[in-house]
Amino acid sequence: MPAEVHVTIRDETDIVTARQRGRELAAIHGFSKTEQTFIATAISEVARNIVAYARRGEIVLATSQDQGRPCIVVVARDEGPGIQDVEVAMRDGYSTSKGLGMGLGGAKRLMDAFDLISAVGKGTTVTMKKCVR
Amino acid sequence: MADTTFAGTDLPRRAEIEIDEQEVNRRKQFLEFRADDAEALKSLEPIAEQYADPVIEDLYRHFLSFDETGGFFRDPKVLERVKRLQREYFVRLTEGDYGADYVRNRLGIGTVHERIDLAPKWYLGAYSFYLRAVATRLLEAFGKEPQKAFSAFLSLMKLVFLDIGLAVETYIAARDRTMRKQQEAIRELSTPVLQIRDRLLLLPIIGVIDTHRARLITESLLRSIRANRARVVVMDVTGVATVDSKVAQHILQAVAAARLMGASVIVTGLSSNVAQSLVALGIDLGTLNTAGDLQGGIEDAERILGYRVVRAAETGRGPQLAERR
Amino acid sequence: MSVPVLRLGDVLIASIQAALTDRDLLQLRDDLSDQVGRFRARGVIVDVTALDVLDSSAIRTVRDLAHTTRLRGARTVVVGIQPEVAFAMVQLGLTLEGVATALDLDEGLALLRQEDA
Repeated sequence: MPAEVHVTIRDETDIVTARQRGRELAAIHGFSKTEQTFIATAISEVARNIVAYARRGEIVLATSQDQGRPCIVVVARDEGPGIQDVEVAMRDGYSTSKGLGMGLGGAKRLMDAFDLISAVGKGTTVTMKKCVR
Repeated sequence: MADTTFAGTDLPRRAEIEIDEQEVNRRKQFLEFRADDAEALKSLEPIAEQYADPVIEDLYRHFLSFDETGGFFRDPKVLERVKRLQREYFVRLTEGDYGADYVRNRLGIGTVHERIDLAPKWYLGAYSFYLRAVATRLLEAFGKEPQKAFSAFLSLMKLVFLDIGLAVETYIAARDRTMRKQQEAIRELSTPVLQIRDRLLLLPIIGVIDTHRARLITESLLRSIRANRARVVVMDVTGVATVDSKVAQHILQAVAAARLMGASVIVTGLSSNVAQSLVALGIDLGTLNTAGDLQGGIEDAERILGYRVVRAAETGRGPQLAERR
Repeated sequence: MSVPVLRLGDVLIASIQAALTDRDLLQLRDDLSDQVGRFRARGVIVDVTALDVLDSSAIRTVRDLAHTTRLRGARTVVVGIQPEVAFAMVQLGLTLEGVATALDLDEGLALLRQEDA
């Protein structure tokens, strides 16, 4: 298993690939089955946002340590239209295209740490982290 | 008080708390312990060397005359060792350089006393004994200059109070640590999921529910639902220390997750106070199935599953469960 | 990838076997809706046992699917949600409200029979 896993996100099948890679990485690093599912689901959410809003982008999976506990870091990057109001976008029930828009808020709850940086017209980067309990 | 009476180590064990230079300086400012105090103490070093042994002899005579403190020094070998360490402690008071190393040393000593379970009251009493013993000696030493003796004594008192502050903190830190461990133990109390009838599980939750434990409980509940093919779960929260909005959210989440797996949950043991405060907090409990107490919850569950409990006398046979369907 | 739909009496059973894309799930929705009418089905079971992830979009699609077949006249039960998936769904705040659920295929069928009676 390389130190970092890159998955290019262009369409829906890439979403499945990204979350499967995330689950594999989590399993190797000793995350429980529930945690693996949480990580895979969160990856699915952010990858889906790339497909829905930016058309293409990338998911990078990496591992780190926090006080001796293995952690997984997920970075989702795109050069899409960006998010106008991050606070509103994080709120459950908001979406500019379709659906319930619960993706980002939900992903945040599934992970330990969640950070979103977005610039209108330039793109969005979501960084999420979860450590073994 | 540098008596390491317990294990065979002569050196004070490492302290649990760390205090940085800045904090030490702040404390000294508050005590008004200044450079001239350090100087004054340092100038007492020859006197301290001279009086160390008699003062320490007096101190241990005093210790030994009380059961509560004497008990620590029954072994003559131990007594010799602690006297030696006590002497080091005493002399260190007048060696100057009261910086980070000094503080670390003092914290270590406090930690040792906490470990051997010497109550702070005896510890503080010993300080009082020390100060009085030294005061008398200082007056003697300075002879016709009692003013100087008094000034030196005030410097010493500032330093001793710095020491006392550090010692008391090691006791408090130890107490905090114990409390944290106990809380951790309560949190980690395993939550059994019990099958009490075919397709019926009982989940009695006791103790403190925080996010981590709520997750563990929910995980084990969901696994048990699948393993036992449960259709109804009675979740009893009588033993939950506090049910606030956060805990209520955890309960609602567990209930919702169980439903996704096809199991209905009946929550029992929400006290009247808890019920009122949850309503006041505006938590939507509309979807929650509840019963007043555990018995009622199990009865409801049995009804859903089609069980009828029949008394032995009514049937002429032993106790049994009659299944309606 | 299309999802095969089995017919058992007046019940349609769709067992979702692999990690599906949204497009597949939408296709399934259309197929089921169509077949409910064609076979005059009284019940539909959507078996998601094999799914190890259901994200918000997939959950929404499953929910819409269940509501659609219900409106077409068939009781719809989603069965086989894995413990970990159920937990993640709750974290997402998406709990398939208004959709019947059961532990597995057997339980789903039992539920449909019970409601027929």
